[in-house]
Amino acid sequence: MNTIKSYLDNMFLRLPQTDDVTRAKMELLAMMEDKYNELKNNGKTENEAIGIVISEFGNLDELGDSLGIKQLIENKTEVSIVTYEEAKKYIEDSRAIAPKTAFGVLLCIISPIIMLLLIGLRELNIIIVKEDLLIAIGLVVLISLVATAVSYFIRFSSKLEKYDYLKINPFELDYETEKMVKSVQNEDEPPYKSAIAVSVVGYILSALPVIITPLVSEVEGFGVLSVTVTLLIVALSTYNIIIKSAANDACNVLLQQGDYSVKNKTNKKFQTITTVYWCITVAVFLGYSFITNNWGMSWIIWPVAGVLFGAIKAITDSQS
Amino acid sequence: MISSDVIRGYNDTMILSLLLNEPSYGYEISKRIRELTEEKYIMKETTLYSAFKRLETNGFIDAFAGAETNGKPRTYYRITEAGKNYYKDKCEEWEITQEVIEKFIVKENNNEYNKKLS
Repeated sequence: MNTIKSYLDNMFLRLPQTDDVTRAKMELLAMMEDKYNELKNNGKTENEAIGIVISEFGNLDELGDSLGIKQLIENKTEVSIVTYEEAKKYIEDSRAIAPKTAFGVLLCIISPIIMLLLIGLRELNIIIVKEDLLIAIGLVVLISLVATAVSYFIRFSSKLEKYDYLKINPFELDYETEKMVKSVQNEDEPPYKSAIAVSVVGYILSALPVIITPLVSEVEGFGVLSVTVTLLIVALSTYNIIIKSAANDACNVLLQQGDYSVKNKTNKKFQTITTVYWCITVAVFLGYSFITNNWGMSWIIWPVAGVLFGAIKAITDSQS
Repeated sequence: MISSDVIRGYNDTMILSLLLNEPSYGYEISKRIRELTEEKYIMKETTLYSAFKRLETNGFIDAFAGAETNGKPRTYYRITEAGKNYYKDKCEEWEITQEVIEKFIVKENNNEYNKKLS
């Protein structure tokens, strides 16, 4: 009986899961089951019964007209199928890797903290050592933290590399898998939403130490120390958001929603524009900043480029 | 086995004819067709189901949930008044079709044709 069921599952794998299709599948299965049981009762062996049932099943093309899916059956394209196991594994792996990636990012963000702390304390005359020495210590800590982070990225992100095709190529999920992914995403939604809320509040609050400290005290040391507090808040907010959004992001990839929609994937022109656009932005930023040494102002390019990118995306979307 | 191209136009007629007696469900109808035709015609599951859908869309049959078997309610079909009228029309159509085609069919005892064919 399982053979018959999986035969039918396979036949229906590529069809859209509309109510009509689901009903057709159930009805066909019922008929096949009846026939199978009767053949078995009449003394046929398991294999004979299965053989007869499958040979008398007919052709799915016949259903096209009555189910309103004729076009789909006839234009069957070779789209790959992501199985239940693959989808489950991808979500699990994404969840498992997220804390490592998040920790790496955290290390990067807090990497200058020790240097800032030492310099701040020196300004306040709490540590009385030559500034060069403090900078050297700070740099050693900074570089080791970044190095640790990079080794984390290399080690763990490579574990997700094998799933990259999910983000690039269009694919299909069968009904059961899609249901599973949707339920994972639904379950994950409350913690995900609250994590985003907490982190966004964190990002907004992170500006406060830097803004308030100069108002309260003019001692330069406090200003430097306040930056460490800001970095710490940013680091924790980012850590939180990366961990909590992992499952949701994986589900979006599997359901091909948002950035991972089939429309975006097939829109190669837009992908090219995106790559060229951001490369140029980085080049302009670095070029301008190094030549003029005006790093204090040149960062403006990022918010400007971000908003402009939205406009470009809207234009290309309307054209396609 | 009969070529399904020829018989396709009359699948609906066969199903309606069986439903005239009493409501029935998928497998029973396919079994009755097989038995009545002495296994000369076996209706494929997909053919049967697409015929159900077509008849239902045209209002010739109604689907309803019957008694449970193996824990699942079985879908039964019953013929409607429109279905009965359609069945009558199809029967008349068949009489004429048969009459027309007959004119072109070789009878075993027709010596004139047998000569030409050999």
